[in-house]
Amino acid sequence: MTPRSTLLMQSARPLYWMMLAAALWILLRGHNEPGGGFIGGLLAVAGSSLLAIILGIPAALRLQPLAPLPLAMVGVGLAVLSGLAGALHGLPFLTHLWTGIGLSTVMLFDLGVFFAVWGALTGYVYALVDAGETAP
Amino acid sequence: MSHASHPESGGSTYLWLAAVPFSLFLLLTWGLSRHALPWQLDIPWIPSLGLSLAFRVDGFSAQMLALITGIGTWVFVYASGYLAHEPRRGRLFVVLILFMLAMVGAVTADNLILLFLFWELTSITSFLLVGFNHEPAEARAASRQALLVTMGGGLAMLGGLVLLGQMAGTWTLSGIVAAGPTLANDPRLPYALVLVLLGAFTKSAQFPFHFWLPNAMSAPTPVSAYLHSATMVKLGIYLMARLDPAFNDLLFWEVMLIGSGTVTAVWAAVLALRERDLKRILARSTVSALGTMTLLIGLPSAGAGLAVVAFMFAHALYKAPLFMVAGNIDHATGTRNIDQLLGLRRAMPWTAAAAVLAGLSMAGLPLSFGFVAKDIIAVAKAESELFTLVSYATVLVNAVAIAVAGVAAVRVFWGPLELPRNQVHEVSWRMLLPPLAIVFLGMEFEFFPALADPLLLAAARSIAPGLGEVSLSAAYDLEALLSATGITALIGLLFFLAWDRMHEALHTLNRFDRYGPAALYDRLLHGLARIAAWHTRHLQHGRVSGYLQLTLAALLSMGMFGWLHTDSRLELTWDWPDHAWAWAVACLLLVAGAAAAATLRTRIAVLMASGLVGYGSAVLFLFAGAPDLALTQFAVETVLVVVAASVLPHYGTAPLQQEPLRASSGVLAAAAGIGFSAAGAFEQSAGEWRTRRVVRSDQPGRGPWPQCG
Repeated sequence: MTPRSTLLMQSARPLYWMMLAAALWILLRGHNEPGGGFIGGLLAVAGSSLLAIILGIPAALRLQPLAPLPLAMVGVGLAVLSGLAGALHGLPFLTHLWTGIGLSTVMLFDLGVFFAVWGALTGYVYALVDAGETAP
Repeated sequence: MSHASHPESGGSTYLWLAAVPFSLFLLLTWGLSRHALPWQLDIPWIPSLGLSLAFRVDGFSAQMLALITGIGTWVFVYASGYLAHEPRRGRLFVVLILFMLAMVGAVTADNLILLFLFWELTSITSFLLVGFNHEPAEARAASRQALLVTMGGGLAMLGGLVLLGQMAGTWTLSGIVAAGPTLANDPRLPYALVLVLLGAFTKSAQFPFHFWLPNAMSAPTPVSAYLHSATMVKLGIYLMARLDPAFNDLLFWEVMLIGSGTVTAVWAAVLALRERDLKRILARSTVSALGTMTLLIGLPSAGAGLAVVAFMFAHALYKAPLFMVAGNIDHATGTRNIDQLLGLRRAMPWTAAAAVLAGLSMAGLPLSFGFVAKDIIAVAKAESELFTLVSYATVLVNAVAIAVAGVAAVRVFWGPLELPRNQVHEVSWRMLLPPLAIVFLGMEFEFFPALADPLLLAAARSIAPGLGEVSLSAAYDLEALLSATGITALIGLLFFLAWDRMHEALHTLNRFDRYGPAALYDRLLHGLARIAAWHTRHLQHGRVSGYLQLTLAALLSMGMFGWLHTDSRLELTWDWPDHAWAWAVACLLLVAGAAAAATLRTRIAVLMASGLVGYGSAVLFLFAGAPDLALTQFAVETVLVVVAASVLPHYGTAPLQQEPLRASSGVLAAAAGIGFSAAGAFEQSAGEWRTRRVVRSDQPGRGPWPQCG
């Protein structure tokens, strides 16, 4: 690994947590205003990429809830699960249900998208960064 | 096949696997004795697409099932002996079981799409089995040929089945047969039938697709006996017979079937005389028999239905044992060339016995089920007024069948032994019992017709509903039959005696081979490879700018085409947008980014410039009423640029080589820009009435963009 500036090294972790918080905020905000799982997921990817570039891929992996592929699988699984709830009530698959006070299966679906984007794209990014590090 | 040279390899011979088809066979006989036909099962699958797991077993399906499981049982026993020294036999048995299940599905499926699925599954398993000995290049070519021909036909058949389904408004085979006569005036019917027949003809190796079956003989012999004589190649016949009650009255159907059937039967018989390889001789005669079956289906009389059923049954009962005999000879002597095979009767008495009994049936001589079948065929042909030419043709075909039976059953076993005595040995009981058992089964049906009668009559009634009360055994008039068979038998005997001389004479045909369908297939295959190479060279050259030019040019010409074919005019009006200053900033960013990306030479600078273009379009989205999209665009652009920037230095820092600027590229770029702007304006003016429509209907949605996340 090529040497990095100390400033960058020290600010990487705080920046990551701030970006993750922003990502979660955008995810929840998407319920009623612009935002949502996809954009939130992208922001989380940006945070993870930052970590991977500055502190290395292992550091980025440590601060991610799961490895990229399992994370994406959990995300897709959550999205499918959210669709099944409607199917269990005899409605077409992916018909969403609301509980009245703002909680809904749509939230679950959005969370699934968030994880799927975060997992799948970090998978690509880590591969790219890794290829870059090891390239001649 | 050189089994003798293989060392004995340990492990199971998988004899117990024969229990799988056998238990299915028992299940079938139990069901037939308890429950009246037809049996139906219908499980909805995707109802909105008309797809359901619909199965229907009537008499004809039951007969096919009896052949698939009954002969299958003996084929599994045979294979366990034949492949005892083959180390990879486990793989073959897996595919063989899969094939059997696919066949069971294909002959019981009532839903058209389901039929297609099982149909193609038999093609795939056939491909795997033909290419089982994958080391010789011919085996690989043969399996690829079998796959391409039957799968290509299968795809055509899918088109035909979909057309039929749309015309009849039902997706079940039984529904189409019921609706058959009402379809006669539909202008789409000929196309549908040609497509379906393409599938049936390729599967059953009808002319001009007859060439793949002899090549498929590179498969291990149990496979040849099972797939390429007794069951799979009869699927095409099965489908034609299935549809026959619906289209029997159409002249088109009749001409196609009788024409193709006759040509196949005669031509394959002639080609059989050209072969020296025992298995290929049998394969050619199988094609000839399949041609006869197609011809019989085309005959309008109800008796023809009975003839098809009886002949199919008899053919399976004699051809499968004959293939097993050929396999035994191959196994014992290491050759299948009939020039080297003579006088094997003392060394292989049991194989010889099976061969003679099967040969009797194939020749249609008394004491065999083939005799009964031949008689029913004669009656069916007499009932329908055949063209004289067709009648003569069938005499020739039968005579060649007798000669082939003579070669396979008599010639190789009689006379002085050519090979050294100690090289030839009788094979194990697992390879002797199956052919003998199947042959005895055939003879049993001759002496006790009551055993097979109900099944065959039920089968015949389901493809020829007009069939009255007949008995298989009572159908024939012995005297008339003997005189008719007598002539054929005499000609057949002549063919048999003159086999070698005719073989010599037919050498002159070799020069026409390069105009035949097999040669055409080869040329098509080579042509395909050449086209693919040309296409790859010219379209997949790896230059990104070239891809971009091509894409833009294609989009532009499509847009121009669409514009020239509409009569609506483009009305340009100009309104300042709400946040004109923001739009101006966005456009400035876009233009600056694009210009910088085109002129800069440093990699990292070009990357940043392209990121600028992305930000510019994001700003545009933001003020054009799509904040969701703008947010996404910002995030994507940022991640992309950051990641690419971190990776880029590792690939070197040399400045980019710039392609020379060409006027044509500039013209194309300008045209694309103007064209897309015009398309956008056009879309906007056309979008106004669409927006009105969306508002009227109660559909939710905030704008034309899909909601993200």
